[in-house]
Amino acid sequence: MLFNSLSFIVFLVIVLVLYYSKLFNWTNKKRMLLLASYVFYGLWNPPLVILLWISTLVDWQAGKKLAVETNARQRKLWLLLSLAVNLGFLAFFKYRDFLLDNFTSVVNTYGYGYEAQPMDIILPMGISFYTFQTMSYTIDMYNRKIEPARTFLDFALYVTFFPQLVAGPIVRAQDLITQFYEEKKATVKQFLWGTFLLTIGLFQKIVLADTLLADTSDQVFGSQKILDSLDAWTGTLAFSGQIFFDFAGYSTCAIGIALMLGIVLPDNFRYPYASIGFSDFWRRWHITLSTWLRDYLYIPLGGNRHGIVRMYAALMITMLLGGLWHGAAWTFVIWGGLHGLYLIIERILRSRIQIKITAFNGIILALFTYILVNFTWVFFRAREFSVAKNMLSSMLFMNEEGEKIVGTFDVFKVFILIGLLFISHWLMRKTSLREVSLSMSPVTLGIVWAIMLFLIVISQGSGEQFIYFQF
Amino acid sequence: MNLKKSFTIALILGVLSIIAWEFYWRSQGRFPDLDDDKYLWASTRAKVEKASKDDVVLVGSSRVLFNIQVHKWEELTGIQPIQLANAGATPLPTFHDIVEHTDFKGTVVVGVTPPLFFSTTFEQAPPWRRAASRSEFYKNRTYAQRLNYFLSIPLQNSLAFISNDDEEWHDDINLKALLNTISWSDRNGRASDPPFMRFQDIDIHRNVRMKNIMLTDTAFANSIKTVWKFFMSADMPPPDKESTIAFFIEDVNKLEARGGRVILLRNPSDGFFKDLENNGLPR
Repeated sequence: MLFNSLSFIVFLVIVLVLYYSKLFNWTNKKRMLLLASYVFYGLWNPPLVILLWISTLVDWQAGKKLAVETNARQRKLWLLLSLAVNLGFLAFFKYRDFLLDNFTSVVNTYGYGYEAQPMDIILPMGISFYTFQTMSYTIDMYNRKIEPARTFLDFALYVTFFPQLVAGPIVRAQDLITQFYEEKKATVKQFLWGTFLLTIGLFQKIVLADTLLADTSDQVFGSQKILDSLDAWTGTLAFSGQIFFDFAGYSTCAIGIALMLGIVLPDNFRYPYASIGFSDFWRRWHITLSTWLRDYLYIPLGGNRHGIVRMYAALMITMLLGGLWHGAAWTFVIWGGLHGLYLIIERILRSRIQIKITAFNGIILALFTYILVNFTWVFFRAREFSVAKNMLSSMLFMNEEGEKIVGTFDVFKVFILIGLLFISHWLMRKTSLREVSLSMSPVTLGIVWAIMLFLIVISQGSGEQFIYFQF
Repeated sequence: MNLKKSFTIALILGVLSIIAWEFYWRSQGRFPDLDDDKYLWASTRAKVEKASKDDVVLVGSSRVLFNIQVHKWEELTGIQPIQLANAGATPLPTFHDIVEHTDFKGTVVVGVTPPLFFSTTFEQAPPWRRAASRSEFYKNRTYAQRLNYFLSIPLQNSLAFISNDDEEWHDDINLKALLNTISWSDRNGRASDPPFMRFQDIDIHRNVRMKNIMLTDTAFANSIKTVWKFFMSADMPPPDKESTIAFFIEDVNKLEARGGRVILLRNPSDGFFKDLENNGLPR
């Protein structure tokens, strides 16, 4: 089920009515939320709920054993079981064809003429998110960082909680399970703020991403032609806006819906396009994934504890795997690799050059960072290297005879919108939506809210998926 | 921050602006109607699964869609045909879908619009893709999509501003379509496509009628013809008679082997369109 759909509106109303009715006690409300979460997921593809159940059962059992087991070898085996099941699902459903293709290519370079049969396996929605979330539980249990979930119901709801099930934020056990222990009820302020966040999230997705930016991005990246520089830049900027509004929109909806139930989810985006440097970028973009990768990959790989070379290697491996997490293709690996390279160069420069950030040089550096981020988006969006190569050469003004395919109005629309996006991120860099809303008069906020509602309704989104569902 | 006040203002202004938007479009002569989209097509396609030997399925392109009135057919024969024709598409993938993925043993009326019927069997070609994508959607649609569509019907039937047709008409009333009507001189130097206005009404049974304006406003009717001419005069690959006929015959044999019947129907055409057909595909 998608947040931007009629069925979700009905679903949410039913859930809220049941949640705030006096029909159920807290345990039964949690049961209702769990059932609702399975319905939310199952309405897309019912049999794939079984994967959720398996992941839940295995990690619950592993967590229980890790809580009481003292034998180091046994503990490691329980952890390995959890990792094998979750990563096994990912490998089978997400990476099987990619691995097979690469295996075939390698084998055939030796002249074997092997032909693999693609299985056309459906990719379960959000599998990368919920597997990472449940793995964090067993890894934390293994490291004795957290207490086991008190009941199976609490744990199952942690794995399946519908607002963040399919595209995050990826929530740690200690941040979410503990919220299920005591009865939760949103205050009126929380409920209304949640509704406001849901409106902003839908506005970002339906109006900004789908209506204003998606077509230009699709047109440019779907073209097989060598493009004019302005067209290549327009398409890439459009995609940078589309993916931000799409993904941040989903996260904002998720946080808002959870808040309407009295549950607090962590922030996932903090105005990333005004980042100064790439360390800053990854503290602002998909925060729950970057902290997951930091805690469960970068630090176990040695982090910065074993010298500079090992640190750079850990950083690069983390970013390469982070790229692969996003999709089973070499273009995603290159995207991650570029970010790894940027991070390494930044660390080298920071160790040699000290710059005092002012308002003037800050915005220049932020713009420079944003431009470099756009070069990485080319690999993220292009389905083939040939398209990425053509796009990059056009963006670097190397194709003087490139074709103009984007209309004048669309170029204007994208540049205005992305300009506003960058400026708003810069202005919001050191503040938050809540603080800005607090400083506005209720009437102004109400008018802004009404405009967003109106634009959502007249856009009539066709209920297309969020981009991150495929990851 | 007084969120209650903001929420109340947002709710009142939001509802008022939507009501004003609805009244504005009604004042422009628009009225609530259904979209001819993949959801409606899929819900019609689902009827084939339960169809009996007496039932009739219509496949074809726009000529079958417009020329065969399903309610008139029902009035005359007592059977409401299942209308699965797709404008601008070859009937071959839809016919193939019925033959391969159902056990339908009734009658299939196959519309033959020569430039489309004999156009291609290449799966990525637009005439094929337009029809095949709907069959694929029918096969892959989720329960959530079915529910969304079910919930959208009362809204489509009540609100004039709900208009989001698959055809992406020039005069659709959604934000994207409205922005697309902004016409600036184009930097790519190409003439823009002539505006393709919605000229049809469709009901829940996929019975399609041309709007009255097609009878009363010659300029409007000519604007539609201009678009058809634009599409049909574009550089198109030559027809592929051998492949299309071979593909079709195989499916006909399969259907007839299990007791089904096929009726080929060539709808009349005249003027520019008949000349074009006679030149490219003489009978």
